[in-house]
Amino acid sequence: MRVLRRIAGLLALSWLAACAATFDPDERLSFEAPTRAEVPDVPLIKQEDFFCGPSSIAMVMQWAGSDITQQDVAALAFSPGAGGTYLADMIGSSRRLGQLAVEISDFDQLLAEIAGGRPVIVFQNLGLAALPYWHYGVVTGYDFEKDEIYLNSGQLDKMVMPFAVFERTWRRGDYWGLVVLPPDRLPATASETDVLSAAAALERVAQYRAAETLYETGAAKWPESWLWQFGLGNARYAQGDLRGARQALRRARSLDPSIPEVRTNLAFVEGEIAG
Amino acid sequence: MNFQDLGKKCIVMALSAQMVLIPPSIAIAQAEMLGTDAVIGKYAALADREALMVELQRAEVQAEIEALGIDPAEAEARLAALSDAEIATMLTQMEDDNAGAGIVSTLFSVFVILLVTDLLCFTRFFNFTRCVR
Repeated sequence: MRVLRRIAGLLALSWLAACAATFDPDERLSFEAPTRAEVPDVPLIKQEDFFCGPSSIAMVMQWAGSDITQQDVAALAFSPGAGGTYLADMIGSSRRLGQLAVEISDFDQLLAEIAGGRPVIVFQNLGLAALPYWHYGVVTGYDFEKDEIYLNSGQLDKMVMPFAVFERTWRRGDYWGLVVLPPDRLPATASETDVLSAAAALERVAQYRAAETLYETGAAKWPESWLWQFGLGNARYAQGDLRGARQALRRARSLDPSIPEVRTNLAFVEGEIAG
Repeated sequence: MNFQDLGKKCIVMALSAQMVLIPPSIAIAQAEMLGTDAVIGKYAALADREALMVELQRAEVQAEIEALGIDPAEAEARLAALSDAEIATMLTQMEDDNAGAGIVSTLFSVFVILLVTDLLCFTRFFNFTRCVR
């Protein structure tokens, strides 16, 4: 069955390639992307059966220096009943592993991340709408001149796709992409709010140390925003670091003295230190 | 000129009303720390000037603005001239007008266009914008 689906996927790919129009970066992108870009040293991991999701996360995390395996990720992400990994579990498992996980949703973001040196996990339908073959891969590079996009796609060889084929397979996956990074690095394209929400999500899964690092990273990039100091205070408090929490919440207060939540939490922490 | 002053006063009044309306319980001692999540939900999206600007740069929005006979550069200048507090107030109002549905991205472009046209006195869609002429 799996072989059949793979063949169906390959047939669909060749059929798509036959009728593909070339990708015009000037028309499709709203920023000046370099002609080619490649993220070096993303390891190629051969996926185990149905583990394209976990192996994608493992590749990205190993690239960033972790020694995690696809089995480790699968334990947190894979749904045996579904024979696959849900999008929400891709995000959730990355966070439970202490990573910053931010979704992207278009070519601008995808290529800006690659050009900025971050690999991106993409969700594709390699088959057809009626005969779907869902797959996760890691985009590691592209070349407009050669009309190629490069993926680590669960095989030991790099997968090379013409842009138009990639575009169709990715469009059928609703242009879903995920940037997974250690919390001391930020995506090239994510907005302040996206990163803040991702940091708060790390607190929600009790990854307080990772949350603390991410709040510090965000505070360095957006120094005028009190929200980073507020989150930092909460993440330190959750780890029992009362003085560190107080320091961060005081900074939040000096950045914006008008926020009642900051004053409330600061009073709470000061009460615990005194009491 | 008077109109502009009045507009500023309205925003000041809206902001102070907001402060008065904060439930008193929030300022007194809590049983536990207030979570980051809820606070981000309340504040982060609001001051997101960046999001407004990014929306304004999108091709569809630019085309729409031009079709209305507005110079996109001028639209951008008008948005840039708003203070963080003003943007926060406007976005809060937008959210309230949507009965808590939040700013959905498809609607957001419409909001941005109407916001710009309001500021340029072409429309009077929102009851909280001031027409700057």
